Amino acid sequence: MSYGKSVLAFEEFGFRPGKVERVVRETSKMVSVYIKLHLPNLPRPGQFLMIWVPDAEEVPMSVSGAGRRWVRISVLGRGKTTSKIQKLRRGDLVGVRGPFGRGFSLKGKSHLLVGGGSGVAALIYASKTISDQKKECVFLIGAKTSSELPFLREVKRLNQKLLMATEDGSAGYKGVVTDLVEPILIKKDFDSVMTCGPEKMMVKTVELALKHGVRVQASLERYMKCGFGVCGSCVLDPVGLRVCTDGPVFDGRILLQTDFGKFKRDAAGRRRPI
Amino acid sequence: MSRLTVKLGKLVLPNPVMLASGILSHGSLLEKALREGAGAVVTKSLTLKGRKGYETPVVVGVEEGLVNAVGLANPGYKDFLKNDLQMIKEKNRVIVSIAGDGPDEFVKIASSAEDAGIAAVELNLSCPHVKKHGLEIGKDPKLVRRIVKDTRGVLKIPVHVKMGFCDELIRSSLVAEDAGADAVVAINTLPAMVIDVYSRKPILSRICGGLSGPAIHPIALRCVYELYRELSIPVIGCGGVKDWQTATEFLLAGAKAVQVGSAVAIKGLKVFSEITEGLAKYLKEYGFESVDILMGSLEGKK
Repeated sequence: MSYGKSVLAFEEFGFRPGKVERVVRETSKMVSVYIKLHLPNLPRPGQFLMIWVPDAEEVPMSVSGAGRRWVRISVLGRGKTTSKIQKLRRGDLVGVRGPFGRGFSLKGKSHLLVGGGSGVAALIYASKTISDQKKECVFLIGAKTSSELPFLREVKRLNQKLLMATEDGSAGYKGVVTDLVEPILIKKDFDSVMTCGPEKMMVKTVELALKHGVRVQASLERYMKCGFGVCGSCVLDPVGLRVCTDGPVFDGRILLQTDFGKFKRDAAGRRRPI
Repeated sequence: MSRLTVKLGKLVLPNPVMLASGILSHGSLLEKALREGAGAVVTKSLTLKGRKGYETPVVVGVEEGLVNAVGLANPGYKDFLKNDLQMIKEKNRVIVSIAGDGPDEFVKIASSAEDAGIAAVELNLSCPHVKKHGLEIGKDPKLVRRIVKDTRGVLKIPVHVKMGFCDELIRSSLVAEDAGADAVVAINTLPAMVIDVYSRKPILSRICGGLSGPAIHPIALRCVYELYRELSIPVIGCGGVKDWQTATEFLLAGAKAVQVGSAVAIKGLKVFSEITEGLAKYLKEYGFESVDILMGSLEGKK
């Protein structure tokens, strides 16, 4: 089971009140929201929360940071609800359930993190934990342009090696972040690769890691109605894995047996090409 | 044949523990539920056209269960039969749930489902939160008769009807039996709602929904007990089954099979093997050769 306990209580699928404590602009597109609340346990890197904005909908959100009495989520504001989340102000209330799902396994001494878009949110929390455990980590972050690269100062503060890729060449390597993956896998030995971001980027990263014989985990995003394993919306066909409870972090070898990078289900449950 | 084998009319299942409608929904997950030990799986209620369902939140946990108003989200029956059903190896263990808007839709979807090779259909006459698609039907014996009769008339496979808890439960079930239904599934969720006291708003986007889980089990149990005494067709118990004991209660009250839904949230898919193993042990220990002998064998029954 995903949460350490083998039987959960139904109450755990209810909402806890969270109070917005601070809203921080990370990039031209991304905003971080710090939420004060009591969680039963500290989220593990890769786990997610269901965030309900009472005037909008409920959406799954990766944890980008957490402490005993707070969590941070970092959103791009592409949809109706995430735009509302970006406009939250100090003192606003949200409903929170979770943390749900399985996080990253942080086994091993050196990790390569490959992130893009909102996926960097889950990885920055992983990199913080890796840093706390005094392990080594190289962080690759990709974006369209330099103003969209999030968490740069945070990665530097953690004293981790950072490589950037921008499509317009305004910062770091000019091109996509996956171009950086193979050279670094050749140059340096890693115990594991973790990736989160656009699905095509993750597919490429998984393929490259496996080609070089390195264990790889990817954190997936899917439409969810419940977040705790009953609705089936987030299924990975044809294996029948649920992103919410069997994931959202999966071993790359398992993902290659699924619709990973190919199809996802919409709200009605129709299969849509990615 | 194992002790757990049950016959629901023409339908022979390896055990009496089914997945209830609305849980897991998609083909590959229904296939997984079968591999994890479910005797049969009931699909999400299929409608003529695809439905996105309501905006989230659509399901929320409370102390003794779940409250949901999903809004019959489904890809539409054609899409499901074409894509999802094909992911399931044993189609003879798939029961297709149907939520039609009037008798013609029930007939149309049921015929296509039969042609696709499934085991039985379950007519959802009791969805508590979608207009024209549910509870209003079950409360209207005339409409129940027409839908069951029309559907029964065109199918060879068994027709089950899913009833909700209402004053007309017994009457509508008797009418369904008379119109040719092969089994009655009881009960659906009970009307419910949940309020967030901090924002002072109802949590479900639809405001009201239906309660499932342990809280409704004793109510469902009484419904099954009464239906068993009134009907001659099999009754399938649904509502709050979370372990072999709650499943066995239904069988003792007269159900021939049970359905498991909300418990998947707290126990995962292993809930099926846990219940069937517990039930098999119970049958052996108490000397019951089959589920049929256990069925309705309530002590002190008047």
